[in-house]
Amino acid sequence: MTSTSQRPRASSRRREAAQADRDVQRAASMRQRNYRGRARAADVMGILCWVSVALSIALYLAYSGGSQLTDAGGVVTAVGIVTGLAGTDLILIMLVLAARIPWIDHTVGQDRAVALHRRLGKPALYLILAHAVLLTIGYSISDGTNVIAETVGFFGLGTDPILAYLGLALLLLVVVTSVVAVRRHFAYEAWHLIHLLSYIAVLVALPHQLSMGGVLADGTLQRVYWIALYVAAFGSILVFRFAVPIVRTARHRLRVDRVDVIAPGVFSLQLRGTELRRLGAEGGQYAVWRFWSWRTWWHAHPLSFSAMPTDRTVRLTVRELGRGTARLSRIRPGTFVSIEGPYGIFTDQARSAPYLSVIAAGIGVTPIRAMLEHASLRPGEATILLRGTDQSEAYLWHEIGQIAQNTGVSAFSMLGPRPRHVPTWMSAHALANGITLESTFPHLLDSDLFICGPTAWAEEVVADARDAGMPEHRIHLERFDS
Amino acid sequence: MRKRAIAASVVSSSAVILIGWQIGAQAQSADTSLSAAAPARTSAAPATSSPQSSARASTTPTATPEPSTAASAPSATSAPSESPSAASTDGTYTGSSVNTRYGTVQVQITVSAGSITDVTALQLTDSDSRSVQISNRAAPVLRQEVLAAQSANVDSVSGATYTSDGYLKSLQSALDQAGL
Repeated sequence: MTSTSQRPRASSRRREAAQADRDVQRAASMRQRNYRGRARAADVMGILCWVSVALSIALYLAYSGGSQLTDAGGVVTAVGIVTGLAGTDLILIMLVLAARIPWIDHTVGQDRAVALHRRLGKPALYLILAHAVLLTIGYSISDGTNVIAETVGFFGLGTDPILAYLGLALLLLVVVTSVVAVRRHFAYEAWHLIHLLSYIAVLVALPHQLSMGGVLADGTLQRVYWIALYVAAFGSILVFRFAVPIVRTARHRLRVDRVDVIAPGVFSLQLRGTELRRLGAEGGQYAVWRFWSWRTWWHAHPLSFSAMPTDRTVRLTVRELGRGTARLSRIRPGTFVSIEGPYGIFTDQARSAPYLSVIAAGIGVTPIRAMLEHASLRPGEATILLRGTDQSEAYLWHEIGQIAQNTGVSAFSMLGPRPRHVPTWMSAHALANGITLESTFPHLLDSDLFICGPTAWAEEVVADARDAGMPEHRIHLERFDS
Repeated sequence: MRKRAIAASVVSSSAVILIGWQIGAQAQSADTSLSAAAPARTSAAPATSSPQSSARASTTPTATPEPSTAASAPSATSAPSESPSAASTDGTYTGSSVNTRYGTVQVQITVSAGSITDVTALQLTDSDSRSVQISNRAAPVLRQEVLAAQSANVDSVSGATYTSDGYLKSLQSALDQAGL
């Protein structure tokens, strides 16, 4: 009797476990397909970038066919024209990368797009500078004059070349203030204001491109293509950086509901609005928020959702890191809030493996908290490690513990400072006990690893993950510094 | 995936550049054949009038003893437009307009006592600012050379090939009309 009653129970449990395992695998293969699709889209983007540069060179070739390459002056002039076209093309690509186009954000993530945007800055400037220098030299060789006379001659050609020089000066200013060493001396807002001048720099350079040389002559296909590039770049900026945020802000009518202090220097902002599900936010995403009070409106805050938005409420959890965030802790309920976003692929959507490994430190738990809430986890699918120097850094840990309990996934914590002279993400105690990333996360190589915390700490986790043999696309990193 | 993307980028970029080059080369050869056709046209026009004008030419040295250039100019300005047959040696002659890829070129000459006393450019390559710049540099040089050589048989200005070609072709047609 007992044996017969026990057998079916045991087998049904086994069947359940097998079913859960199959579900995990099925979800994993779907994620794998998603990942391949995204990787392909990312490849297409890369190819498009290169082809657009090639096209800018082809524009010149289609115009001259190499007929200019007969003497020294002609060669220098030709190289000068090509560097100008390629440099402008790069700047237009940079605008597109900074436009926060949803397709780009979903595919590679806005942070990678911005990283590429930064990397293109200097090459673009060098190309444009080379363009100005080479054309002046090339023209002066052809004309049998000197560089100074040629430069003076440019200013006699009407307003177009003067505007071009103005654009070059603005571009120099923008790139120089963005070099890390220089940028540190500017407040973010000041730097950002200067950075906006790049729009003007690119626009005032357009007239001379159309009138100075014959490459983009009136009535040619080249001119149509070039203007289309400008329209696409500035159009995407206008739509996705201005129109969409304004529409969303107007639609959701967000206001500060209350400020909850959850630890010294850490607080949650509860916002209230309407139709917030239409934002389509995913757990782990962030948005750029602006709080329209007298003392805070000029400061845009990129903050992660620390819980999934409901239709009426949004929660953000913030740690005071500077004067800007300190002011937020004293913000009055009822303050109007504008939103740009949501952005980011630090989400369940970015996974490509059957299992999930999550590690967060300090205030880095905020996106993790929302991501875990959003991901429909099966028992045993995820392992979570929360890291803090001491108990005072255990922000939202009880909430994550609750999610872990409800979904049947395991959550651990590791408390204690890092050892002084050993580069590691672990506590000195854990290191001494021989704990490793692999021992913490049983399915590490069969999982996606989500890391969120201070940059230096997170880099240590990434290094360990690489050493363990994790492929790059399964390491998901969100830096939390400022 | 990454390697394939790089390969695809290289291949498609090269293809784009090659196609551009090809289009440019074709446009160039079309251009040169166009400008090759242009002199045929300009030489064809004076060819009909050449027997007359050459006949006139032989008579002109004796027919016009006075070398006053300024006086003869206004009376003859209408001459080329009326008909080449009416052309006397003294006067102004407008050359045919020659199309180049940088714009149309047309010159006018002033002839007095069987020699070219002035060349005026009515139209020069001006499709873009750079062409204007080049034209402004080349035109005085060409004028000087033509006045010195008294023919269209002069060197073109380096870096201003199209302008020079157009200039000299238009000049030649004017010379043909003047019977020089």
